[in-house]
Amino acid sequence: MTWGVMSHKLGCIAAEKKIPILGQFELTARCNLQCKMCYVCRNALDKQAISMEKTAKEWIKIAEEAMDAGMLYLLLTGGEVFIRKDFRDIYEELSKMGFIKSIYSNGTMITPQIAKWLGSMPPAQIDITLYGGSPKTYGKVCGDESGFERALQGIDLLLAEGINVQIRTSVIKENQEDFERLAELAEKRGVDLSIVNYISPRREGFCTNPEGERLNPKDLVQYEWRVNNYYHNKMEKSKGEKQNKNSEDELDDFVAQPDDGHPFQCNNGKSSFWITWDGKMIPCSLLDDPYTLPFETGFSQAWRDMTKACSCVLTCSTCKQCSLRDYCMSCPARLKSETGSFTEPASYLCEYAREMYQLSLDNKLTGGLVNEKVHKTYFRND
Amino acid sequence: MRIKQGFLLREVAQSWIVVPIGQRVVEFNGLISLSESGALLWKKLEQNVDKEEELVTVLTEEYEIDAITAKQDVHDFISSLHEKGLLEQWI
Ligand SMILES: C[S@@+](CC[C@H](N)C(=O)[O-])C[C@H]1O[C@@H](n2cnc3c(N)ncnc32)[C@H](O)[C@@H]1O
Ligand code: SF4
Ligand code: SF4
Repeated sequence: MTWGVMSHKLGCIAAEKKIPILGQFELTARCNLQCKMCYVCRNALDKQAISMEKTAKEWIKIAEEAMDAGMLYLLLTGGEVFIRKDFRDIYEELSKMGFIKSIYSNGTMITPQIAKWLGSMPPAQIDITLYGGSPKTYGKVCGDESGFERALQGIDLLLAEGINVQIRTSVIKENQEDFERLAELAEKRGVDLSIVNYISPRREGFCTNPEGERLNPKDLVQYEWRVNNYYHNKMEKSKGEKQNKNSEDELDDFVAQPDDGHPFQCNNGKSSFWITWDGKMIPCSLLDDPYTLPFETGFSQAWRDMTKACSCVLTCSTCKQCSLRDYCMSCPARLKSETGSFTEPASYLCEYAREMYQLSLDNKLTGGLVNEKVHKTYFRND
Repeated sequence: MRIKQGFLLREVAQSWIVVPIGQRVVEFNGLISLSESGALLWKKLEQNVDKEEELVTVLTEEYEIDAITAKQDVHDFISSLHEKGLLEQWI
């Protein structure tokens, strides 16, 4: 059985039996960068945030409990995980426990020493987000021009250690022109580029402004079309050559379950969970309602309560009957974070769906996605 | 012979999964899935096993299976572990 097929099978059983097979630990909200659209970040030296963070010991204990409950895949993210002075302690302990680990990072804090250490007990994958193709764009998006060179250096150091690196980007107004440059940077390194196209509003109030910085729906659809054509042309050119196999396999993990009547069509709240930097268990990074408190009640109780609460989430009746559904990227979490309610259609998403529908008509495309293969391979939902 | 250090057998979502831990990920980045009987043999092989017959006994004691089939199964299992470089002290 290949890795992808097996993961898919495991994922299906886990979703059906409500086994928390995928855990996502947001170890900190603090970050050395301050991206304009970030849904979580706080200042690197924010004393209040530091005091509210869970300790290394607490994370390790919750990981042990999650392991007993069936957690196999574990994502470590932030904020920026490398900003925690005790990240090394946490990571090394987790590495002994039998998880398939991955990390999300901005790459800018990766020194030769860190790369070497990580290479000695590598995660299955590390995703580095590149926020632009030049120091100038980094300055505009992340408030730090030097971040560009440092992120690239970080990627190269990790690759030199033989670590499986993926590059991703999140598109906003300030970096939309950089797509081709980013694609080239990834290609030059033989690494896949995936794109977070949907920028969500902030999960908890602070100083960034995702809604003001993201593309408007029309521009977003045009951006996706541009990406689509870029890869479509590449694929045509290299027909018969190596396909983008890894990304496809990995996607198997996240294939939505068939419509089982559950409000969530993804696996969140069925077989996966997110724990925030200050200790809340939530279904996914976007949605802090419902939430439970694993550090207070213990993991199992928190997981049970969360799965139950997620299965009771109300769904939007307008969306259910909507003729644009196939063109829309709405889900309960996105509706809630856009509108504050699970049952209200979100104007940003409606407009996106209309634009996507129009694009499909104009280009005589069938189905909601511009090019399903490109979409599945290059756009990410998380 | 025995299984190399640095692998953990786990039962997850009704499946037996072997996960590399710590530095073992360097050479083995992925998962191994085992059948029920594979997991039984794996557990036995976490300690040193001198002869394949010991493993055959593990199978015949647990399952209604004749010795010849069990022997073949054990042989195949050991060969595939060996091929994947998971065994030390191959004899
Ligand atoms: C919050 S970051 C944490 C990890 C690391 N600091 C990084 O930048 O990759 C995780 C991912 O979320 C993306 N992201 C940030 N703000 C977002 C938003 N408002 N909506 C969707 N994704 C967002 C980031 O670009 C990054 O790929
Ligand atoms: S998106 Fe990542 S790098 Fe940017 S501010 Fe947020 S946590 Fe930091
Ligand atoms: S968010 Fe709007 S476009 Fe999307 S399904 Fe709901 S009503 Fe339709």
